Amino acid sequence: MRWAPAEMRWPDLGIGRPSLRVRWPRGVRARLAGALVLLVAATSVVLGVGASVFVDARLHEQALQDAAAQARFDLTVTVPGRQLPAEPSIDDVARSGLTDTFRRRDVESVIDLGAGETVLSNDRLRDLLERLPADVPARVGRGELAYTWLDVGGTPSLVVGGLAPGGDLAVYFVRDVSGIQAALDQLRGALLVGAAVLILLALLAARIVARGILLPIEEAGHTAERIERGDLLARVPVTSRDEFGVWADRFNRMTDTLAESIRRLEVAQHQNRRFVADVSHELRTPVTALVAEASIVREHLDELPPESRRAAELLVNDVGRLRNLVEELMELSRFDADAEEVSLEKVDLGRLIESVRAARSPKARFEAPSKRVMVEADPRRLERILGNFLDNAREHAADAEVEIELDARRSDEIVIAVSDRGPGVPDDRLEMIFDRFTKVDPSRSGGSSGLGLAIAAEHAALMGGYLQAMNRDGGGLRLELILPKDVARSLHPGDASAT
Amino acid sequence: MEARILLVEDDPSIREVTAIGLRNAGFTVETADDGRAGLDRFAAAAPPFDLVLLDVMLPRLDGLEVAREIRRTSTVPIVMLTARADTIDVVVGLEAGADDYVRKPFEIPELVARVRAALRRGAGTRRDDGVDAAGAGTPLRLGPLVIDIAGRSVSRDGTHEEIPLTRTEFDLLVDLAQHPGQVLARDTLLDRIWGYDYLGDSRLVDVAVGRLRAKVELDPSDPQLILTVRGAGYKAAR
Repeated sequence: MRWAPAEMRWPDLGIGRPSLRVRWPRGVRARLAGALVLLVAATSVVLGVGASVFVDARLHEQALQDAAAQARFDLTVTVPGRQLPAEPSIDDVARSGLTDTFRRRDVESVIDLGAGETVLSNDRLRDLLERLPADVPARVGRGELAYTWLDVGGTPSLVVGGLAPGGDLAVYFVRDVSGIQAALDQLRGALLVGAAVLILLALLAARIVARGILLPIEEAGHTAERIERGDLLARVPVTSRDEFGVWADRFNRMTDTLAESIRRLEVAQHQNRRFVADVSHELRTPVTALVAEASIVREHLDELPPESRRAAELLVNDVGRLRNLVEELMELSRFDADAEEVSLEKVDLGRLIESVRAARSPKARFEAPSKRVMVEADPRRLERILGNFLDNAREHAADAEVEIELDARRSDEIVIAVSDRGPGVPDDRLEMIFDRFTKVDPSRSGGSSGLGLAIAAEHAALMGGYLQAMNRDGGGLRLELILPKDVARSLHPGDASAT
Repeated sequence: MEARILLVEDDPSIREVTAIGLRNAGFTVETADDGRAGLDRFAAAAPPFDLVLLDVMLPRLDGLEVAREIRRTSTVPIVMLTARADTIDVVVGLEAGADDYVRKPFEIPELVARVRAALRRGAGTRRDDGVDAAGAGTPLRLGPLVIDIAGRSVSRDGTHEEIPLTRTEFDLLVDLAQHPGQVLARDTLLDRIWGYDYLGDSRLVDVAVGRLRAKVELDPSDPQLILTVRGAGYKAAR
């Protein structure tokens, strides 16, 4: 039987010790096969031993009855028929040919004349009388038939003794009973072969039964895998009305419920995102007009009468905030719609960081590593992430205290970090700062929309990277972009459109 | 000299405020509110416009079509007004013949700067000066190309047929041809040709090089005159 890896995955019920050098298969199949084989083997042993003992006893009894009947016949008919004289001499007995007669019936014999005189049918029987258990000659002497099982010259034999009429001669008939042993051996051999066949049958049966049990379980496993991969239409086939069928039915009903919930959530989320996308799209045109208009007003603030100048100033600022909000919402909507494509090119990170720093945060400190750091990445997304980091730092801390680091020393990752000396973020809120509309300090509703870091996180994810935030020793926040050194490989093939 | 600008934009507010901003900056502005009207106005203008500002999303005829139509007859600088900077729209717009783009929403000073940079191109007052003066007499050569800087014309050896280049393409060709064998980074070209100080869109260079190759290379898919230096920029063959 072959133990495929799939079977090894079924739950380990804690049988077997892992330290064992030989790893026993612990699947349902193995356990079922083991149990059946054990059962068959035990049954075979019990039946075999019982049968041998019984047959053994019957064969011995049969042999004994035959021998006793023959002995009686010989003692009462054959021996008197020779008409030996009373108190016959050893020569009388030898001449009578009694031993030869018995021998023709395959029975060896010893005729005891008493006083140490014996007639033997075979020389091998010379010491037979000495080897007989004491009670046998004693009972023969009393005129009874007596027997014993004895090994004679290497042959298992049955010795039956009796006194001839007149009491002069004691005759011991010696029968070869090796046939009984042979028959028993044959029987045991047959039983062993039978047991082996039964064990094979048991294994086969175990396989078939296990298959019947496991096939639906395996199918259910495949179904679960498909569901895990997101195929919510996968269902377990219900093919039986047994316990498994009931289970499969419940499983399917659970999946129905889950799929329905997920679908509802997806629809709700889709509608939600669609709404945000539509709103921001609709806002774009008026915002474009507002931005252009505000830029003209800003040029002429000085010429406005004092009573409207401050209002115009605020107007210009608020238009800027509105613009940021709408643009960021639209940007997030594009991520939600999976409309973003990564376009990779070779980027000199030190140079890119320096140019973003100079443009966005001239007072921030940055020291490019002595060795150039080149990666395949999407420079526009890198600029966006770094820009948002810097905006965040500038909002919470003075420019001068902001530090940018580029670390390419790790073997497979590059870290770009922006650290400030602002108030930092409470530890329990660190995780949330990359969520949408998260403002760490709700009382501060400064220029930011609360979307900047969420957007940065989306850009990072598109390039196979991620963001991290941590509080610095001595106060301040450190934002990190961790980028795989090989961006192209971290993306799924087809995602990247190289330029 | 007062440059004349055609502004094609469908939203009345954006159209009006943009026109005001440009007029404040000293330009003469005419407007059209859809693609078809814009094209008609461009064709009918006398003297011709010095620059066209074109919204991408326009009723009746979209901005890309308008740009392609204009390019059939004219090398006038075209600046697109595009909703998004990071989409295929930009590349398609540039390939349709636009020289530069301005992302909506924009502030007027930003737009005016782009317009000025586009007008400056080919006007003989490039930042990287000394070029025109030095090259005035003897024609510049790049392989089989004969470049007449003063006359702003390019022709292939043996023919007198002029290859029609936009001003951007012409400036790009001249800049590369004046530095044969020298790698010019995209950022450098963005600065010298488009007037971006920092963080210009390198796709401007790539698309312009592509368009230039299509006109001057015998086999644009296997360029012999304007070579790409991977990860660095472009250079003219020596």
